[in-house]
This record gives sequence, structure tokens and C-alpha cells, in this order.
Amino acid sequence: MNMAKEQTNQGADNGTLTVNPVIVVQEIGELFRNFLAEVGSMFWFVAHTFDETIDRLRHGRAPFRASSFFRHTERAGVESVPLVGLVSFFLGLTMALLTGYQLQRFGTERLIPGLVAISFTRELGPLITGIMLAARIGAAFTAELGTMTVSEEVEAIEAMGIGPLRFLVAPRVLALFFLMPCLTTVSNIAAIFASSLVSRLYFNIAFVYFLDLVQDALLIRDIITGVLKSFMFGFLIATIACYRGLSVKGGAAGVGTSTTSSVVTAITTVIGFDTLYNVIYTIFFPT
Amino acid sequence: MSAANSNIVELRDVKMQFGEKKVLDGVSLKVRPQDRLVILGQSGSGKSTILRLILGILRPNSGSIFFKQFEITRLSPRKLQQVRQRIGMVYQYSALLSSRTVRDNVALPIEELTDKSREEIDKIVDEKLELVGMKDAKDRLPSELSGGMRKRVSLARALVLDPELMLLDEPVAGLDPVIAAVIDELIISLSEKSKVTSITVTHEMDSAFRIATRMAMLYQGKIIEDAEAEQFKQSKNPVVRQFLSGSTEGPILKDSEDAIAKK
Repeated sequence: MNMAKEQTNQGADNGTLTVNPVIVVQEIGELFRNFLAEVGSMFWFVAHTFDETIDRLRHGRAPFRASSFFRHTERAGVESVPLVGLVSFFLGLTMALLTGYQLQRFGTERLIPGLVAISFTRELGPLITGIMLAARIGAAFTAELGTMTVSEEVEAIEAMGIGPLRFLVAPRVLALFFLMPCLTTVSNIAAIFASSLVSRLYFNIAFVYFLDLVQDALLIRDIITGVLKSFMFGFLIATIACYRGLSVKGGAAGVGTSTTSSVVTAITTVIGFDTLYNVIYTIFFPT
Repeated sequence: MSAANSNIVELRDVKMQFGEKKVLDGVSLKVRPQDRLVILGQSGSGKSTILRLILGILRPNSGSIFFKQFEITRLSPRKLQQVRQRIGMVYQYSALLSSRTVRDNVALPIEELTDKSREEIDKIVDEKLELVGMKDAKDRLPSELSGGMRKRVSLARALVLDPELMLLDEPVAGLDPVIAAVIDELIISLSEKSKVTSITVTHEMDSAFRIATRMAMLYQGKIIEDAEAEQFKQSKNPVVRQFLSGSTEGPILKDSEDAIAKK
């Protein structure tokens, strides 16, 4: 290791930057090991949350209060509707406008409704909603739980003999899990509505005809795909956010670092899983 | 697995290390029923760590910790949760849930861990808040309370499940002498009336002498003195003597200087 470093320094002294492959391999190995350790702890975090929740149910008791669940659904769901609706509306508008002008050159502008409807229900709706919720709700969950961790509130809950995972994590994960498909639907409707306005104003496609074209183009399979994806994204975002929140170390600065890390990890994971999902989907349903 | 004695808490040769730093280096301690043990020691000497080890929040590197017949270090997470319900903990900075009112903070353990009705819960909460003189503040949020008030609410929360053992981390730090005396008297009356055993970690010597039936001194990871309160005051150990007198002359600062010099 030291020899390798010396070699790198010698290279730098000569005015050329030579990178020792041993160091590169070591660093890649270290990164990979850290990544695996992180995935492993997250897996155990999920397993323990399930275990605590199910154990509580087995004893005939609610794992968390209904009011806690509804408070999170309100925060994550109802309060996110304007943001998700507005962003999706603008995206639907832009998409219809840009593709419409291209399609018009070939006289195929009547493809706009199907194009927007399919791309949003299958792909963009869940993805855009996922990214927005990772930023808005994921950050809030991490900051909230992180602050509770550094002020010893989480430890106090544990010290009382209350399972912190079922008490703090389960209602948040379930709220986002169930709310994501609803918000995705809002996103889809907003985008399709926006594209119907563009189609009517710029490409002379009547609303009724627009709806017929959407119905012709959309398959149940597209809708199910989008819904399944959004369930998965909701679960991933909430799990990552809670995990990062409960593993905060180092006071206020630690909360800040974990919140940033939570948003970045959640967005990357959502996009990564979306790609994986699409790859698997195209293998099983190629047409 | 079980401790074949009548101690409420027993630590056997407990060692604990955080990274390179050895915090506890073979701590052995026995706490008998209704003892009011006060653990003294310098800041960062590992006193609070002992409380967290008893609760099973931290796991020692080696050694055993018993709460009654349960070996904390070997309990399954589920069993550990059940054992924790018999222990009340008061944190140095209160650790009240900031988003819940005083009433909800105190009610939390009963709501989550018992099947009591709303009326029964309210009655118990009122009773415990009355005990610490905080009944009028039950609809307030922790952020609207002073440090002393928060600490009293924290004490009420720790008492709400009628614990057999109370762990108190600096219960009177930062409080005015009157409120500190009120809390001390409360700890004494709990021990006398409700037969609650307590382990208190503190720096406040007045408070320590007021509540302690037994005192132990933690120094450089070891219990260097463990005696009845009166005997402890008469200790010949130079570290204890210096700590009790608050003198700058003695082995405590010398050891620190030696450690700094060695570095």
C-alpha cells in the first residue's frame, strides 16, 4: 500500500500524474464493500420493522395509532397534490406541444393523446411523483427522525420498551406506500388534461376525440405497470428516508448531511429500480 | 443465566470501549432493592454509559449485566422490551417528544403498552403530573417549558408504569436549588413509599448526599469506591477525597496532565 502511494508520488514529482492500479482497485473494493454493508443494514432495518409490526399485530394490538398514520398520509399525500399536479401539468403541456409539432409534419398529430397517456401512466407519472416525493417527503422524514435521534427522543422511546421501528417507521412507510399510487394518478390526470388542452388549442383535436384516442391507446397492462411501480417507489423512498433519519450521527450537522444523502439516495434508487423494472418488464412483455 | 442473588441490578466485570477509547474497564457493581445508589465521576468517565448498558441500549464488549433474574446482555430484543417496561429512565436533557404535549408524553408508555381506557390513562397521567407539580402544564408543548419543568415531566413519564428501578441521568443539573431539592425529595419518597430502587448519575454533590443511601465513584473505567453514603464521605481514597472537596490539588488533575503529556 505504502509502496503504491510512493509510486504515485514519484509520478507526480516528475510532472506526470500516474495512477497506481492497485490503489484504484482498493478504492473500488472499499466503495463496493461500503455499498454492500449499507444495503445489508437497510435490509435488516426493513426486516426488523416488519418483525416488530407483525409481532404487535399477533398480540392483537395496533402497531401504531391510526391518527399517526393519517397525519403522515395528509402530509405526504394531500399536501403534495398541488405540487405533483402542477409539475405534471406543465410536463404534459410541454410534451404534447413539442411532440405535436414533430408529429404534425407527418400528419400524425392524433398520436399525441396516446403518446402522453402511455408515457405518463407507465413511466413518467410514477417517476416524476417519486422524485418529487423523495425531495419533499423523504427529506422531511429524514430531518424529523434525525432530529429525534440526536435529541435522544428515539432512545427514550426504546428505553420505555416501545419498539421505535413499528412506532416511528411503520406508519411513515405505510403512508407513503399507499399514497404514491394516488399521487401518481393525480400526476397522470394532470398531464393528460394538459395535453388535451394543447391538442385542442394547437392541433384541433376535440376533447371527446382526445378521450377516445386515449382509451384506444391505453392498455390495462400500462395502468397496472404504473400502479405497481408507484407502490414500489413509495416503499423505497419512505424506507430510505427513515433509515437515514434513524442512523444520524453528529448533531445538527449530521441531520443536514443525512437529509441530503437521503434525497440523493432515494432519487437514485427510484431511477435505478425504474430501469430494472423496465428491463424485466420488456423481457416478459416484449410487445 | 440468572443471578442467584436478590440484587436488583448487578454488573460483572463489564468492559466497554468506543473506538480506541476504553470507557469501562471491568466495572462490577451490585444494587440491592430500595438502594438509592449515586454514581459519581468526572465528565465523560462513563457514568451515563452504565445506565444505557443496564437498559440494554448499549451492549458491553465483555462482562454481564443483570436486572433481577434477567441477564440483559443475553435477552432477545422482544424480552428486552418487556424488561425495559419495568425500568424508568430520566434523561439528562429530558428527551421529551417535542411534537407531543406534556399529557401525551406522559401518557405514551401506558397508551402503547397497556390496554387501559382513556379515562384510566387520564387519571394516571394527572396523578403522576400532580406528583411532580406539573398538572397545570399538561396541554403545553415541551418547547413552552423551562428546563426544570421538562425534567419534572420526564420524571412523571418515567414513573407512569410504576417501575421497579429508576435510572436518573443528571436529574437536577441546571435546576435552581429549590426545584433540585423538590426532585431529590421525590426520589427519596419514591424509594420509601413505593419501594423503587434508583441509580442516579450526578455531579451535584448536594443532591448526591441528599438522596444517596450508597455512593460509588467511577474513575478511569473502574469503580474505585463503593460504600454506604456515610462511609463514602469518610473515604481515604485520594481521588474520592479530591472529588468530594472539589480541590485542584490531587491525583485527578495530575492523571489528566500525565495523560496529556504522554500524548
